[in-house]
Amino acid sequence: MKFREIFRFELAYQVRRAWAWLIFAALLVFAFLMTRDGTLAEALYDDFFLNSPFAIAKTTVTGSLIWLLVGAAVAGEAAARDVATGMHPLTYTAPVSRAAYLGGRFLAAFVLNALILLAVQAGILLAVYSPGVEAEIIGPFRPAAYLTAYGFLALPNALVATAIQFSLAARLGRPIASYLGSVLLFFMSHVVGLFLLFQGRQELANLLDPIGVHFILSDLSHLWTTVEKSWRLVELEGTVLTNRLLWLGIALGVLAVTYLRFCFAHRAESTGWRRGTRRQDARSPIPASLGVAASTPISVPQVPRTFGFALHARQTLAIAGDSFRTTATSWAGLALLAAIPLLTVLVVLDQMELNGVPLVPTTASVISELTAPLAAELSRWVIVPLLLVFFAGELVWREREAGLGEITDAMPGSEWAPFLGKLLGLGLVLVAFMALLTAAGMLAQAILGYRDFETGLYLKILFGLQLTEYLLFALLALVVHVLVDRKYIGHLVAIIAWVFIAMASLFGVEHNLLIYGAGPGWSYTEMSGFGPSLGPWLWFKLYWAAWALLLAVAARLLWVRGRESGFRVRLRWARRRFTPSTARAAAVAVGLILTLGGFIFYNTNVLNGYRTDSEIAKLHAEYEQRYKRYERIPQPRMTATRLHVEIHPERREARIRGSYTLLNGSAVAIDSIHVTTVPGAEPEALAFDRTAALVLSDEDRGYRIYDLERPLQPGGSLRLDFEVHIESRGFRESGADASVVANGTYFTNGNGFPAIGYQQSRELITPRERREHGLPERPVIPSLYDVGERMEWAERIAFDAVVGTDADQVAVAPGRLRRTWTEGGRRYFHYSTDGPTGTGLGYGFFSAKYAVREARWNDVAIQVFHDPRHTAHLDRMLRSIRASLDYYTEHFGPYPRGYLSVVERPGGGTGMHADAGMITHGEGFVFWSPKEDGRSLDLPFAVVAHEMAHQWTLPLAFVEGAPVMSESLAWYYAMQVVRESHGAPQLRRLLSFMRRPYPNPPIRRGEPLLRGLDPWMSYRKGPFALYALGEYMGEERVNTALRRLVEKHGSGAPPLATTLDLYRELQVVTPDSLRYLLHDLFEVNTFWELETERAAAEQTGAGTWRVTLDVRARKVVADSAGVETEAPMDEWVQIGVFGPGEAGDELGAPLHVQMHRIRSGEQTITVTVPRRPVLAGIDPYHLLDWEEREDDDNIERVTARE
Amino acid sequence: MHLSIRNISKTYPNGVRALDDVSLTIPAGMYGLLGPNGAGKSTLMRMIATLQEPDAGSIRLGELDVLRQKDEVRKTLGYLPQEFGVYPKVSAEELLGHFALLKGIATRRARREVVEALLRQVNLWEVRRQKLGGYSGGMKQRFGVAVALLGSPRLLIVDEPTAGLDPAERVRFLNLLSELGENSVVILSTHIVEDVSELCTRMAIIDRGEILLEAEPLGAIEEMRGRIWRSVIEKGALAELEREHAVISTKLLGGRTVVHVFSDTAPVPGFEPAEPDLEDVYFSTMAGHVGRRRAQPELQVAP
Repeated sequence: MKFREIFRFELAYQVRRAWAWLIFAALLVFAFLMTRDGTLAEALYDDFFLNSPFAIAKTTVTGSLIWLLVGAAVAGEAAARDVATGMHPLTYTAPVSRAAYLGGRFLAAFVLNALILLAVQAGILLAVYSPGVEAEIIGPFRPAAYLTAYGFLALPNALVATAIQFSLAARLGRPIASYLGSVLLFFMSHVVGLFLLFQGRQELANLLDPIGVHFILSDLSHLWTTVEKSWRLVELEGTVLTNRLLWLGIALGVLAVTYLRFCFAHRAESTGWRRGTRRQDARSPIPASLGVAASTPISVPQVPRTFGFALHARQTLAIAGDSFRTTATSWAGLALLAAIPLLTVLVVLDQMELNGVPLVPTTASVISELTAPLAAELSRWVIVPLLLVFFAGELVWREREAGLGEITDAMPGSEWAPFLGKLLGLGLVLVAFMALLTAAGMLAQAILGYRDFETGLYLKILFGLQLTEYLLFALLALVVHVLVDRKYIGHLVAIIAWVFIAMASLFGVEHNLLIYGAGPGWSYTEMSGFGPSLGPWLWFKLYWAAWALLLAVAARLLWVRGRESGFRVRLRWARRRFTPSTARAAAVAVGLILTLGGFIFYNTNVLNGYRTDSEIAKLHAEYEQRYKRYERIPQPRMTATRLHVEIHPERREARIRGSYTLLNGSAVAIDSIHVTTVPGAEPEALAFDRTAALVLSDEDRGYRIYDLERPLQPGGSLRLDFEVHIESRGFRESGADASVVANGTYFTNGNGFPAIGYQQSRELITPRERREHGLPERPVIPSLYDVGERMEWAERIAFDAVVGTDADQVAVAPGRLRRTWTEGGRRYFHYSTDGPTGTGLGYGFFSAKYAVREARWNDVAIQVFHDPRHTAHLDRMLRSIRASLDYYTEHFGPYPRGYLSVVERPGGGTGMHADAGMITHGEGFVFWSPKEDGRSLDLPFAVVAHEMAHQWTLPLAFVEGAPVMSESLAWYYAMQVVRESHGAPQLRRLLSFMRRPYPNPPIRRGEPLLRGLDPWMSYRKGPFALYALGEYMGEERVNTALRRLVEKHGSGAPPLATTLDLYRELQVVTPDSLRYLLHDLFEVNTFWELETERAAAEQTGAGTWRVTLDVRARKVVADSAGVETEAPMDEWVQIGVFGPGEAGDELGAPLHVQMHRIRSGEQTITVTVPRRPVLAGIDPYHLLDWEEREDDDNIERVTARE
Repeated sequence: MHLSIRNISKTYPNGVRALDDVSLTIPAGMYGLLGPNGAGKSTLMRMIATLQEPDAGSIRLGELDVLRQKDEVRKTLGYLPQEFGVYPKVSAEELLGHFALLKGIATRRARREVVEALLRQVNLWEVRRQKLGGYSGGMKQRFGVAVALLGSPRLLIVDEPTAGLDPAERVRFLNLLSELGENSVVILSTHIVEDVSELCTRMAIIDRGEILLEAEPLGAIEEMRGRIWRSVIEKGALAELEREHAVISTKLLGGRTVVHVFSDTAPVPGFEPAEPDLEDVYFSTMAGHVGRRRAQPELQVAP
């Protein structure tokens, strides 16, 4: 009865509040935009209905996340309004039980939140069924899709979040504490989960995510097929069920604790942790006597007072100090200034290791862990803007919430003092935060034994760049709270502002001039320093600082002072407060906005063309629509390229004069040459060595057609001359062009070099984009069985380039360095290839103050171009290069060139890239520092071996399976080198690393390996399959097949190689008894599930041990839609028994490793071994069962009986 | 130096007419603003304290236009609102020092002197280091007085200051105020008649947004002489008495009812002339026997 009344009153009270409706409206708009825009549908294969259950679930989860941030007021009010308003003496003394009071309030909050979350479903419905959507992407209306998403995702989310928000607010007696609960949950689901995910702890990430970011957004996105995404409903099963149960349990636990600890008692002013100590009430002594005579005359000294600017300055500083103190000592402040820096030490320590291999914790790489753009919504630092919103609200409302509003408002001085004081206070908090982060970073470096702290770099980046970013947002948050003047709505608006900043493209805004605080990012690398990135960064930040000044003026004008806060009253004040000095500030701000904005606009949109993503997509679509008809017309093939490149690093300019030799390899005469150019980077002076008329020139889409006066006869050649000018004209919307920089120049022929014929690579790929632009569907890549694709010529060119650069730099281009000389104060380098080479048409140019390490292997000249400071990796790299050349030339054929260049370029990536005769890598690669103890994985060695293997990659047909042909084979090669030079245990460590579900576990669906495309297929499954084959039939047989493949298809003449050729060669070498395995690995998606249930051993009379293994085996075949069928199993599987081994070898010394015939189902296997066994199991090396979990179920510890 | 309020009106958005064409002239000294709860006292006080603006009318402090030159007024203003809070985790000394700075006392030494003097004045010196969160209601009130007295204000506005004070504190507080009133404009709003009668040289009675009487307390009491009659009656007889006489107040005294009646002449036997006090002035004014309400009694139908 009382419960019902409490519930009813609370619900009715809150339903009448504006915030409830605003939250509802915000969610509605968000769900609408997200459904319509669908920017989060990024996956390559995505093509599902707008209203598919998956899309609805996804939007529901994202909506929950937004609700979490904007909707905390509901639970907070319900829990703590009585205390906050001072009503609690009345309610607490009413004859109501705790259960009824808390229960009624909580239930009301939960019900209201549940109703508010319906806005997401409503928004989706509105987006799907209001006009403006093509009918073909709307699936049938399925109520179950909305209901399951709401019931299984939104509703439990609401319960969990409400419980935690409610409990925190009730505990602290402050409604706004609920917001901290939200930030906590947001952090849990968004950041902690992401962190775990990249640690490979997917399951834990799924479990600990309270909202569904992981188990819906990331998990299903990867695990569900397109068909499933369109049709399958989210069900309460598996991860979803465990997660929901776990969090419901946590919610109930939190509520139970709140119930038990809650009491109807006077609330002391002290916070919770002081509750134990007795509160001391102050008592002033009672005066000795009463009455008029007792009073001493007033003797307050007359002291001088100052007003004007000096007073303002002092007031500002005093308020700043107070703001800093109160923020820094609050719970959230302590979290920011104590907990986060401490956690940061751990995070940095953790991040300074990648894939189990330590990285050198250079200051630049540590700093990259400490910083993030404000708009990076996936970064762990999103917590900072969220806390800034909270702090800003607390500061703006500080006086009024303490009841001192009227007293402070009646103090002399303008409104600048409190506003600037609070801003400064918040700034001080951020400065302290940055200082602590610096300390955390240095501490982590010190712990890792790194001493080169580069304090100056910390100061520049954290206090110069990152602090600016945060300060701009802090000001925005303060201004929003001042202008809105309703605390909860202020939070809501500030959070929406942040969501807008972070997801502006979702709202159709892309240009950095239109997104508060946005701008191109800065970059820092050891090689290039900040390069040209600081200039544009600074211009944009200055522009936004001018806006910030204008916002500050607005806040000053509309600052609420006194009792009234009506809109009209505030406008009246604003008119009166618009004093000449304020007007000047506003004028300065507007002037700066216009001049800086104009200057930036001139740079981004006039000097450099600016196009939105959709405009670019439209041009690409038009390119396809207009010129695809020329795709198959005969065009000459490029056979030689001669270039003269002049790089001017300081001027950030490069001039390229080039000529292509084009050969008519077709059987017909060619009368027109088609040239694709890069819009906005048109080549200059395009000319042929025979008369040609430009009959079509489409600069926007980048297409030209030249009619030859005299057709090019079959077998005939012509020359195309062109000039390309790379220069930085001001800066672009995305920042400065960093291709030519003072140190660390790197650009490719993609920078405006003309290409011959229609370029398929320019076509839009995703079905969504293609549909939007009215293009017919196209497969991502042609079918494996498309014979036409195989009949192309491999692109092979004779390349010759003279590259000039500054005298103190070294320039690098593809080919062998023939000659270098100095002329006119510049250094020139002549590179050329040994005849036609290359498996692709991409090539790059480098120029930097390189040091060169020269080495030889037989007749191959090896040159390693590296930053003079980066030397630690050189010997390891050369060891791997030599070992690779040794093994590959012996087993797969000769190295096709007399040279090899390894080039470092600026940038943090840890990976490498291989081209013909050249391996390039970012600076990150040099920071791998594997432990040299022989027991740890030497991943960089394997990576180099992999890139070296690419030198043997065949000219491929551009069809399905091409990535398998390229990457899988290269990894198989690398595995052999690792085994050859480091031994089998190191190979097992490499395989174990590759089996880790990183970042996502294998997908049991899709195409078989022969048609494999995705990274898992090409980088994981392919190498595993080849390795397993090698183990089953001997690696010599596999190597033989691969060598034959190189011999037959190495020339580049059609037909080009496909996985079918690989398969054919493998079939030749595979004995009939293992044909089934080859089939299982390549033709279908087979999964072996092998498990050892029990391993027991008994000593026999002869001193040997008899080991009995209970094993279980199962084999399933998954089709492309993910439907699994069990296949009967009766085949060879390894059984292994291991004795105690040396340290570092996880399995131990093999006592018995042999193939046994294994059937489907349970069975017992008995083997006898000479010594006492420790571990035993089925498929111990994971040749078939690749899913390696933390507790490897293939292997069991042997229980021994003497 | 005096405060002149001219034709101030204020209607709240919900239709409540808080002030209706109020005009007052307030000289230096203690000025009492007396009226029942909800009479519009606080609204008027806030307007004088620059925190609220009238719909119409003007307020001038000497040469200053209070509504336009707010910052000038604030430099010389001390304001103790009816209700206020404190930062619980800050000590009295610290917070008073903070406000001293906000009021323009720039040097640290001057601030320390002023803070000490004021805290001694309001008898909080002994507890200056304690957190304000532990203060009793009366101590907070005295702290508020100290804040209001910062910077030797020439205009001091205290809104219902004695409401939360115990008798001893109240006496102390009123003493404090009376000394201030010697060279400043001190406006004291209260619904407690004794506050005014003990302190104020001038007063106004306000009800439902209207000034009913503006007078000197002693003069007003003198005017009542011979017009207030007192009788002790049984409770049951009250209703009949009210029908026939202008009863202005009733009180219980030892279980019997003491009735004050306003009459220019002796009413009936059983009544004796009473020595008038300010309470009689107040009730007579509220009842419309004296002051502005007398002229239009028929308009006083309750809204």
